[in-house]
Amino acid sequence: MSMRAARPYHLDLFRIRQPIGAWVSILHRLSGAVLALAVPVLLYAFMLSLRSEPDFDRLIAFLQGGVVHSLLLGTIWATLHHLLAGLRHLGLDLGRGAQRARARQTALACLVLGVGLTGAIAIWMM
Amino acid sequence: MRLAAGARRGTEIWLLQRASALLMAVCLPLLLAYVLLQGPHDYWTWRALFAPLPAKLAVLLFVAAMLVHGWIGLREILIDYLHPLALRLALYLASAILYLGCLVWTADILWRVAP
Repeated sequence: MSMRAARPYHLDLFRIRQPIGAWVSILHRLSGAVLALAVPVLLYAFMLSLRSEPDFDRLIAFLQGGVVHSLLLGTIWATLHHLLAGLRHLGLDLGRGAQRARARQTALACLVLGVGLTGAIAIWMM
Repeated sequence: MRLAAGARRGTEIWLLQRASALLMAVCLPLLLAYVLLQGPHDYWTWRALFAPLPAKLAVLLFVAAMLVHGWIGLREILIDYLHPLALRLALYLASAILYLGCLVWTADILWRVAP
Protein backbone atom coordinates (compact mmCIF):
# COMPACT_ATOMS: atom_id res chain seq x y z
CA MET A 1 0.00 0.00 0.00
CA SER A 2 2.73 2.47 0.90
CA MET A 3 4.37 1.80 -2.49
CA ARG A 4 1.09 2.69 -4.20
CA ALA A 5 0.69 5.90 -2.26
CA ALA A 6 4.20 7.05 -3.24
CA ARG A 7 3.35 7.07 -6.95
CA PRO A 8 2.84 10.53 -8.43
CA TYR A 9 -0.71 11.57 -9.24
CA HIS A 10 0.21 13.89 -12.08
CA LEU A 11 2.89 14.40 -14.68
CA ASP A 12 5.50 16.72 -13.22
CA LEU A 13 7.05 18.06 -16.42
CA PHE A 14 10.16 19.21 -14.57
CA ARG A 15 10.91 15.76 -13.12
CA ILE A 16 10.18 13.54 -16.12
CA ARG A 17 13.16 12.96 -18.38
CA GLN A 18 11.71 13.88 -21.78
CA PRO A 19 12.57 11.75 -24.82
CA ILE A 20 14.52 13.59 -27.52
CA GLY A 21 11.47 13.80 -29.79
CA ALA A 22 9.66 15.77 -27.09
CA TRP A 23 12.45 18.36 -27.01
CA VAL A 24 12.29 18.78 -30.78
CA SER A 25 8.51 19.17 -30.54
CA ILE A 26 8.62 21.65 -27.64
CA LEU A 27 11.28 23.73 -29.42
CA HIS A 28 9.23 23.55 -32.64
CA ARG A 29 6.30 25.18 -30.85
CA LEU A 30 8.52 27.67 -29.02
CA SER A 31 10.38 28.72 -32.18
CA GLY A 32 7.05 28.98 -34.02
CA ALA A 33 5.59 31.26 -31.35
CA VAL A 34 8.71 33.45 -31.37
CA LEU A 35 8.67 33.70 -35.18
CA ALA A 36 4.93 34.46 -35.29
CA LEU A 37 5.43 37.35 -32.86
CA ALA A 38 8.58 38.52 -34.70
CA VAL A 39 6.75 38.97 -38.03
CA PRO A 40 5.86 42.68 -37.53
CA VAL A 41 9.42 43.44 -36.36
CA LEU A 42 10.92 41.68 -39.40
CA LEU A 43 8.53 43.50 -41.73
CA TYR A 44 9.54 46.80 -40.15
CA ALA A 45 13.20 45.96 -40.84
CA PHE A 46 12.30 45.00 -44.43
CA MET A 47 10.48 48.33 -44.85
CA LEU A 48 13.51 50.28 -43.55
CA SER A 49 15.87 48.34 -45.84
CA LEU A 50 13.96 49.50 -48.93
CA ARG A 51 12.91 53.01 -47.85
CA SER A 52 16.14 54.97 -48.37
CA GLU A 53 19.91 54.58 -48.52
CA PRO A 54 20.54 56.12 -45.04
CA ASP A 55 17.84 53.84 -43.55
CA PHE A 56 19.46 50.81 -45.23
CA ASP A 57 22.92 51.72 -43.87
CA ARG A 58 21.54 52.43 -40.38
CA LEU A 59 19.70 49.08 -40.35
CA ILE A 60 22.86 47.16 -41.34
CA ALA A 61 24.85 48.92 -38.59
CA PHE A 62 22.03 48.23 -36.09
CA LEU A 63 21.96 44.50 -36.97
CA GLN A 64 25.70 44.26 -36.36
CA GLY A 65 25.43 45.51 -32.76
CA GLY A 66 26.22 42.88 -30.08
CA VAL A 67 22.80 42.24 -28.52
CA VAL A 68 20.89 42.74 -31.78
CA HIS A 69 23.30 40.42 -33.59
CA SER A 70 22.57 37.71 -30.99
CA LEU A 71 18.81 38.27 -31.44
CA LEU A 72 19.28 37.98 -35.21
CA LEU A 73 21.14 34.68 -34.79
CA GLY A 74 18.39 33.52 -32.41
CA THR A 75 15.80 34.29 -35.09
CA ILE A 76 17.89 32.41 -37.68
CA TRP A 77 18.12 29.40 -35.33
CA ALA A 78 14.34 29.54 -34.71
CA THR A 79 13.73 29.57 -38.48
CA LEU A 80 16.11 26.65 -39.12
CA HIS A 81 14.84 24.54 -36.23
CA HIS A 82 11.21 25.22 -37.13
CA LEU A 83 11.88 24.30 -40.79
CA LEU A 84 13.81 21.10 -39.95
CA ALA A 85 11.36 19.92 -37.27
CA GLY A 86 8.49 20.85 -39.60
CA LEU A 87 9.89 18.71 -42.43
CA ARG A 88 10.29 15.89 -39.90
CA HIS A 89 6.63 16.28 -38.91
CA LEU A 90 5.55 16.23 -42.57
CA GLY A 91 7.47 12.96 -42.95
CA LEU A 92 5.73 11.57 -39.87
CA ASP A 93 2.34 12.62 -41.34
CA LEU A 94 3.18 10.40 -44.32
CA GLY A 95 4.30 7.61 -42.01
CA ARG A 96 7.96 8.07 -42.87
CA GLY A 97 10.48 7.78 -40.03
CA ALA A 98 7.87 6.77 -37.48
CA GLN A 99 9.82 3.75 -36.19
CA ARG A 100 11.30 4.46 -32.76
CA ALA A 101 14.99 4.23 -33.68
CA ARG A 102 14.57 6.26 -36.88
CA ALA A 103 12.42 8.90 -35.15
CA ARG A 104 15.14 9.35 -32.52
CA GLN A 105 17.80 9.73 -35.23
CA THR A 106 15.84 12.40 -37.13
CA ALA A 107 15.07 14.22 -33.86
CA LEU A 108 18.78 14.35 -33.03
CA ALA A 109 19.51 15.49 -36.60
CA CYS A 110 17.04 18.41 -36.21
CA LEU A 111 18.71 19.57 -32.97
CA VAL A 112 22.27 19.19 -34.27
CA LEU A 113 21.64 20.66 -37.74
CA GLY A 114 19.66 23.59 -36.32
CA VAL A 115 22.48 24.62 -34.00
CA GLY A 116 25.25 23.63 -36.44
CA LEU A 117 23.86 25.58 -39.39
CA THR A 118 23.25 28.61 -37.15
CA GLY A 119 26.91 28.41 -36.09
CA ALA A 120 28.02 28.14 -39.73
CA ILE A 121 25.93 31.22 -40.66
CA ALA A 122 27.38 33.13 -37.67
CA ILE A 123 30.90 32.39 -38.92
CA TRP A 124 29.95 33.27 -42.51
CA MET A 125 28.55 36.64 -41.36
CA MET A 126 31.81 37.62 -39.56
CA MET B 1 -19.75 29.75 -29.80
CA ARG B 2 -17.78 26.76 -28.52
CA LEU B 3 -17.63 25.45 -32.06
CA ALA B 4 -16.24 28.72 -33.39
CA ALA B 5 -13.49 28.95 -30.78
CA GLY B 6 -12.41 25.32 -30.54
CA ALA B 7 -10.27 22.94 -32.54
CA ARG B 8 -13.19 21.20 -34.26
CA ARG B 9 -12.68 22.48 -37.81
CA GLY B 10 -9.53 20.41 -37.87
CA THR B 11 -9.04 18.95 -41.32
CA GLU B 12 -9.14 22.06 -43.53
CA ILE B 13 -6.95 23.97 -41.11
CA TRP B 14 -4.52 21.05 -40.80
CA LEU B 15 -4.28 20.92 -44.59
CA LEU B 16 -3.84 24.69 -44.92
CA GLN B 17 -1.02 24.60 -42.37
CA ARG B 18 0.78 21.84 -44.32
CA ALA B 19 0.20 23.55 -47.68
CA SER B 20 1.55 26.89 -46.44
CA ALA B 21 4.51 25.07 -44.82
CA LEU B 22 5.38 23.32 -48.10
CA LEU B 23 5.04 26.54 -50.07
CA MET B 24 7.47 28.28 -47.70
CA ALA B 25 9.88 25.31 -47.69
CA VAL B 26 10.04 25.54 -51.51
CA CYS B 27 10.06 29.36 -51.76
CA LEU B 28 12.62 30.11 -49.04
CA PRO B 29 15.65 28.41 -50.70
CA LEU B 30 14.68 29.95 -54.07
CA LEU B 31 14.36 33.45 -52.58
CA LEU B 32 17.64 33.05 -50.65
CA ALA B 33 19.40 31.88 -53.82
CA TYR B 34 17.95 34.85 -55.75
CA VAL B 35 19.25 37.29 -53.10
CA LEU B 36 22.61 35.68 -52.26
CA LEU B 37 23.77 34.76 -55.78
CA GLN B 38 23.68 38.45 -56.74
CA GLY B 39 25.25 39.67 -53.49
CA PRO B 40 26.91 41.21 -51.58
CA HIS B 41 24.50 44.11 -51.77
CA ASP B 42 24.47 47.83 -51.22
CA TYR B 43 21.18 49.74 -51.02
CA TRP B 44 20.76 50.11 -54.78
CA THR B 45 21.42 46.47 -55.75
CA TRP B 46 19.23 45.33 -52.82
CA ARG B 47 16.43 47.60 -54.01
CA ALA B 48 16.82 46.42 -57.62
CA LEU B 49 16.10 42.84 -56.46
CA PHE B 50 12.49 43.78 -55.70
CA ALA B 51 11.84 45.86 -58.83
CA PRO B 52 10.67 43.05 -61.18
CA LEU B 53 7.00 42.09 -60.85
CA PRO B 54 7.73 38.32 -60.48
CA ALA B 55 10.01 39.09 -57.50
CA LYS B 56 7.28 41.22 -55.87
CA LEU B 57 4.71 38.46 -56.39
CA ALA B 58 7.05 35.74 -55.07
CA VAL B 59 7.79 37.69 -51.88
CA LEU B 60 4.09 38.53 -51.41
CA LEU B 61 3.13 34.86 -51.88
CA PHE B 62 5.79 33.80 -49.36
CA VAL B 63 4.64 36.36 -46.80
CA ALA B 64 0.97 35.38 -47.33
CA ALA B 65 1.84 31.71 -46.66
CA MET B 66 3.89 32.76 -43.62
CA LEU B 67 0.99 34.79 -42.19
CA VAL B 68 -1.57 32.00 -42.76
CA HIS B 69 0.83 29.49 -41.19
CA GLY B 70 1.59 31.81 -38.27
CA TRP B 71 -2.08 32.51 -37.61
CA ILE B 72 -2.92 28.80 -37.53
CA GLY B 73 0.03 28.19 -35.19
CA LEU B 74 -1.05 30.96 -32.82
CA ARG B 75 -4.61 29.57 -32.93
CA GLU B 76 -3.33 26.13 -31.88
CA ILE B 77 -1.35 27.60 -29.00
CA LEU B 78 -4.39 29.62 -27.86
CA ILE B 79 -6.60 26.50 -28.01
CA ASP B 80 -4.10 24.58 -25.88
CA TYR B 81 -3.35 27.14 -23.19
CA LEU B 82 -6.01 29.87 -23.17
CA HIS B 83 -9.34 28.54 -22.01
CA PRO B 84 -11.56 31.58 -21.24
CA LEU B 85 -13.67 31.72 -24.40
CA ALA B 86 -14.11 35.47 -24.76
CA LEU B 87 -10.39 36.11 -24.32
CA ARG B 88 -9.50 33.39 -26.81
CA LEU B 89 -11.90 34.76 -29.45
CA ALA B 90 -10.63 38.30 -28.86
CA LEU B 91 -7.04 37.18 -29.46
CA TYR B 92 -8.04 35.18 -32.59
CA LEU B 93 -9.59 38.30 -33.97
CA ALA B 94 -6.78 40.64 -32.89
CA SER B 95 -4.12 38.41 -34.46
CA ALA B 96 -6.19 38.02 -37.66
CA ILE B 97 -6.48 41.81 -37.98
CA LEU B 98 -2.78 42.26 -37.19
CA TYR B 99 -1.75 39.71 -39.83
CA LEU B 100 -4.17 41.07 -42.43
CA GLY B 101 -2.56 44.44 -41.80
CA CYS B 102 0.88 42.84 -42.25
CA LEU B 103 -0.16 41.50 -45.67
CA VAL B 104 -1.32 44.92 -46.84
CA TRP B 105 1.85 46.47 -45.37
CA THR B 106 4.03 43.98 -47.29
CA ALA B 107 2.28 44.83 -50.57
CA ASP B 108 2.79 48.53 -49.80
CA ILE B 109 6.52 48.03 -49.04
CA LEU B 110 7.03 46.06 -52.26
CA TRP B 111 5.05 48.28 -54.61
CA ARG B 112 6.86 51.40 -53.41
CA VAL B 113 9.90 49.98 -55.21
CA ALA B 114 9.40 51.31 -58.73
CA PRO B 115 9.87 48.72 -61.49
